[in-house]
Amino acid sequence: MTSAPLYVGIDLGTTNSTAAVFDGEKVTLVRNAQGSPITPSVVRIDARGNVTVGAKARRFLDTDAENTRSEFKRLMGTAQGIRFGAAGLERRPEELAAEVLRSLRADVRDQIGVLPARAVISVPALFELPQTSATSEAARLAGFERVELLQEPIASALAAGWTIEDQGGAWLVYDLGGGTFDVSLLETRDGLLRVVGHDGDNFLGGRDFDWAIVDWAIAQAARDGVVIRRGDPAHAAAVRKIKLAAEEAKIELSRAESASITVPGLDVGGASHDLDVTLDRETLERLCAPAIDRSIAVCRRLLQAHGVADGGLTRVVLVGGPSVMPVVRRLVSQQLSVPPAEGLDPMTLVAQGAAIFAATAGLEARPSAIEQVRGAKVWLQYPAMSSDLTPHVVGRLVERTGPVNSVPTEIQLARADGLWDSPWTPLDEEGAFVLPVSLVPRKPNVFRLTGKNIQGNAVTIDPPTLTIVQGLTISDPPLSRTIGVALASNDVRVYFERGAPLPARRTFTLHTVDSVARGAEKAVIKIPIVQGEYEQAHLCRLVGALEIGGKELKQTLASGAEVELTIELDRGGRMSARALIPAIGQVFEHVAHLLVPEADPEVLASTVTATRARLGELRTDAFRRQARDSIERLGQVESALDDVGRDIDAARGGDTDAAQKARRTLIEVDAQIEAVELDRRWPELDREAREALIWTTGWVQDYGQPHEQTLYQETAKAVDKARQARDPLELQRQLRLLRRLGSSAYGRHPEAWKHRFEDAAADAGNATDVARAQALVKEGREALAKGDNEALRRVTQKLWQLLPSAAEDRRKGHESGVR
Amino acid sequence: MSQKPDDFQALADNPFYVLGLRPDCSRVDVEREGQKLLGMLGLKLKSAATYMSPLGPRPRTEDKVRAAMAALRDHEKRLAHEFWASLPPPAAPPKPPPAPETKGPGPAPFTEAFAALGWRRS
Repeated sequence: MTSAPLYVGIDLGTTNSTAAVFDGEKVTLVRNAQGSPITPSVVRIDARGNVTVGAKARRFLDTDAENTRSEFKRLMGTAQGIRFGAAGLERRPEELAAEVLRSLRADVRDQIGVLPARAVISVPALFELPQTSATSEAARLAGFERVELLQEPIASALAAGWTIEDQGGAWLVYDLGGGTFDVSLLETRDGLLRVVGHDGDNFLGGRDFDWAIVDWAIAQAARDGVVIRRGDPAHAAAVRKIKLAAEEAKIELSRAESASITVPGLDVGGASHDLDVTLDRETLERLCAPAIDRSIAVCRRLLQAHGVADGGLTRVVLVGGPSVMPVVRRLVSQQLSVPPAEGLDPMTLVAQGAAIFAATAGLEARPSAIEQVRGAKVWLQYPAMSSDLTPHVVGRLVERTGPVNSVPTEIQLARADGLWDSPWTPLDEEGAFVLPVSLVPRKPNVFRLTGKNIQGNAVTIDPPTLTIVQGLTISDPPLSRTIGVALASNDVRVYFERGAPLPARRTFTLHTVDSVARGAEKAVIKIPIVQGEYEQAHLCRLVGALEIGGKELKQTLASGAEVELTIELDRGGRMSARALIPAIGQVFEHVAHLLVPEADPEVLASTVTATRARLGELRTDAFRRQARDSIERLGQVESALDDVGRDIDAARGGDTDAAQKARRTLIEVDAQIEAVELDRRWPELDREAREALIWTTGWVQDYGQPHEQTLYQETAKAVDKARQARDPLELQRQLRLLRRLGSSAYGRHPEAWKHRFEDAAADAGNATDVARAQALVKEGREALAKGDNEALRRVTQKLWQLLPSAAEDRRKGHESGVR
Repeated sequence: MSQKPDDFQALADNPFYVLGLRPDCSRVDVEREGQKLLGMLGLKLKSAATYMSPLGPRPRTEDKVRAAMAALRDHEKRLAHEFWASLPPPAAPPKPPPAPETKGPGPAPFTEAFAALGWRRS
């Protein structure tokens, strides 16, 4: 009899980590050496270089902070090194994460007796590409042969769906972790779980509660004349101690009505003070309410985006340590008018779901058994986990030749419980079979494969068995953020829209802006890859770049050369990119610095100063125009800038995480300011729209094709609608479409290319490659003289590729070298 | 390369045709058929390599199957596709289907198309 399957899931959390195993029937939590299913994500390296992980390490957090580190998950994907003073070592965040994973892996071995080679590790839904790839790297360092990454909310939903029967309808997974907040809208029907959408905040979590308590405690101390500053490195140790005490008080207040925060002997700039304050539940709830409100606003935004009305949810699943707090459960349930799902453990749900997903993905944890089976080898395709009660098994013989006796011509699948057999099925001309099988619900179903040769004698099949687990499964996970390439014009060429099913792969042809000489050391064509929902590249996050350096080029590359760029994403959202330059037949695959950019406090501070200056101008202008929306938006910008200021202070005090948070907020502030700018430009935009409508109408009527004319009418309607709604973003989008329609119709005007050529030729002196541009102008004049419109079009288009893009746009477009 | 109008594409790559299903199929059918086809394509079986559309046989790829499954899971998208797929594809030719789209414009491969979509000619 084959042993039960083994699937491992790991929740690698900011504060705590958990592992769970699934055998196809039930999920079991893995206990660590201390007997707890929860291992703190804390790593300590002592002076001799010995590594301790978990609760044992956590004990040293306040007494030996120099050598004990936590919350490194929030730095994943950054180049930030983490120092261990006593050992004189520096470790990358993923190396520390690997220590935690290694320890959990050993716990699985101790409990189950198998050191897992494959597993599923959960990541926040809004983790960006660099953070995702750092997680894979951590798993590799921990010795895993293969891992799949799974978004945390999907894991929670899967576990909840497995536990609770009858889960039809729309439901919300509210996942408040230590450092991140994710919310997902899901829908279950016919045993299939579908993610409708995500939202979240990468910088909102239980930690914000802790800091709110710390700030409150510091304010209490100030009443007694003790001044503690979070931004002052000399106070860092004191602040750390208060924070630990605050965390404990917060946990205590989940049960008790009041708790004391007592820290004796605080070292505040050389003087020693005792802190002893009492925090009651009411005050705690008041302190936490702003962060909870922020999370609920994110939930509302998600529900609105998918047209779910108030009361349209059947259930909310609360996940994450902080969501144990009664105030969180109460506010979320009240404000969204939905009952919380009961009987689920918010602390371990993610790990349980990851283990179940490992079954869906067919990720058996045991190292591949080298079972010697002598028989006819078949390739098999079947779902390792299926919500369908009658899925298909597809198979094909690897070798169809050989002694007649050993080649099967018919095949049968028999369920191991003896209650179901498939009919004997002849193999087709390709040596293949497709067979529906019958599953027992919510159990692992083992099937034995047997073959018959042409004489009707039994033939052994390799593999002899296969296992399919029946239960709730998940459809392909959708992409959580749009991915594209930044162009030199500061536009984004979108590769994958948010919500696209994964895995996905797409290729577009781009053109180089400058020429690069072969061997030129410093010349590089940069292809920045960005993630975000904005149309302008500078508002999106740079997540990686493919660089084509002169040093590696086999031949000199002319400006305007074609680059076929392919971007590929796997199921877990891991990205790879590849650029082919057809002209020289060379392929570039190295994606440079897939890293979250560093956030230097000084650089951030100067950005804040510049933004404040811009804010002042816009505000004066908004008041003059009496633009209420803009005034309100600018008010939000101002308060966000205050937050950024506080985070920069904390960053100066050594909190690198706060620096990342500040950088992120600044990107959002930028987008807000952009919206105000657009609003200010409204009269101008509106005038452009009217003009565009006038000139395009004529061209499309005279030269447009029937389907262009239909599309034009729709677009014109959309333009009107956007003008009425005073929606600048929508108007810009429709205007672009309108202009494209107008320009393609205009292109059919007999003289169109002549005019376009003349325009481009007038600018040839500014071309990136003047000699080539001049040659093209000469070629164009000849074509013009001959009346060869097709040649003229080709020349003009080539000429366009050589014209410089505006330097400012290019700088904003992450220095992109393509268009 | 000549550009076909969008309607043409929508008809030929309609998820129902890609999966070989009719618009009245259930959600479970979509998953079952999609999973089977992905398995068959994974093993490079010729029987799964093409599908019939009213515009003739078309190549079937794993990407197309996955996109078709995703489209039919979404209720709103499915409704739009149901309209386009309201016409049954012709039966597959008995033996290896001819290579798609190599011939020049000939007679419409499926002459009942207009009527089936609700257009009438007098």
